Amino acid sequence: MNERQARLLLRLYPRAWRARYGEELLALLTELGEDEPIAARMRRDVVRAGLGERLRAAGFGAGAPPAMRARSGALLVLCAWMLFAVAGARVQKFSEHWQGATPQSARGVPAVAFDVLEGAAVLGGVLVLAGVALALPRALAYIRSGGWRVVRRAVLRASALTAVAIGATAALAVWAQQIDTAQRNGASSAYSGAFVLCALLLVGALAAWTTVAVSLARGLELSSRVLRLEALLAGAICASMLAVTLATATWWGALGRVAPWVLHGAAGGSPSSSFALSLFLPSALMAVATCFAALGAITSLRAARLILK
Amino acid sequence: MEAKTRANDPALLILTSLSSGPKHGYALLQDIAGFARVQLGPGTLYGAIGRLETRGLIEALEPQGRTRPYGLTESGGDALAAMLEELRTIIDVGTSRLKRPARLTHAGASA
Repeated sequence: MNERQARLLLRLYPRAWRARYGEELLALLTELGEDEPIAARMRRDVVRAGLGERLRAAGFGAGAPPAMRARSGALLVLCAWMLFAVAGARVQKFSEHWQGATPQSARGVPAVAFDVLEGAAVLGGVLVLAGVALALPRALAYIRSGGWRVVRRAVLRASALTAVAIGATAALAVWAQQIDTAQRNGASSAYSGAFVLCALLLVGALAAWTTVAVSLARGLELSSRVLRLEALLAGAICASMLAVTLATATWWGALGRVAPWVLHGAAGGSPSSSFALSLFLPSALMAVATCFAALGAITSLRAARLILK
Repeated sequence: MEAKTRANDPALLILTSLSSGPKHGYALLQDIAGFARVQLGPGTLYGAIGRLETRGLIEALEPQGRTRPYGLTESGGDALAAMLEELRTIIDVGTSRLKRPARLTHAGASA
């Protein structure tokens, strides 16, 4: 392993850790590499330890104070929700007009599952807003007392990205008015490309604001009561995400049995597979996000119990 | 239940190695491989060094070029003694039980 590769591996570690131990670890790797090439096992060890240090720095280590773990867990749920919302938006787009394409007699189970999906998604969104509102007074106080310097760059980046995303979406909407339905649905590759670009900009803006929220929350001094409430909200948000994921799977399974053509936009009654890649990918992303949320909620709730003691 | 000390715990191995005098990273790895036959990874080693230093069980000495030797602090010595005592209890229990005749001979049958 040459110095450049070793320095690349060091990037996996948190900045503060690198500042303290980076040169020493680099020297050790160089010394180990002098006699014989560094074994893959050693490289994996450096990678695993680096990711572990990242988790510890984010407050997930066993040695971190309960208040820090409760906050980090809740923040992981927030990030997971962001990912979930992106995937959910794709599922929402996919499921548009499914009722119209499904015979009345076959709508029973899919309709119930879809109602649960929508209800749980709305509930999750409300709970996320409640979590944000709960921390807002402290966040404003933090910004006024010098925290603005910490988040200024992230806020400006998120604002710029949001302005670009809104502008691009508005332009796309105007363009959509001037072309026909077939072109809007994929016949025009230029429009499709612009649509994907807009979607990426919106996802980027959402991610940028999530980064702002995480940077802000890290600097907040939250009371035990607020932290406990945030942990409970994290648990409830995770439960709503699980409900949405299960309801999506149920809706998909039921629809695939009674009206699979809907999943492919095919004519009513035509033979179709119940598997649809464009539904599978966002559903898988939702499941992954739910797993991350569960990890965050469990961490937060366990730490909150310790705060109670 | 409190976590018990494991014989291959990096913290225990590092503290044991430093009990014979200060060492830097490479020397620690060599020493540990010699007395415990455990090849610690570089990331594991420095992760454990960081945690031990945070807890005040070891301290960094004057840097020697890019490396920096570490030495055992007084509380590090106490912590090592407590860990060894914990291990000794397990060793004593295991040794005394081995001396008893009630051991399985084959296929779950008691001798």
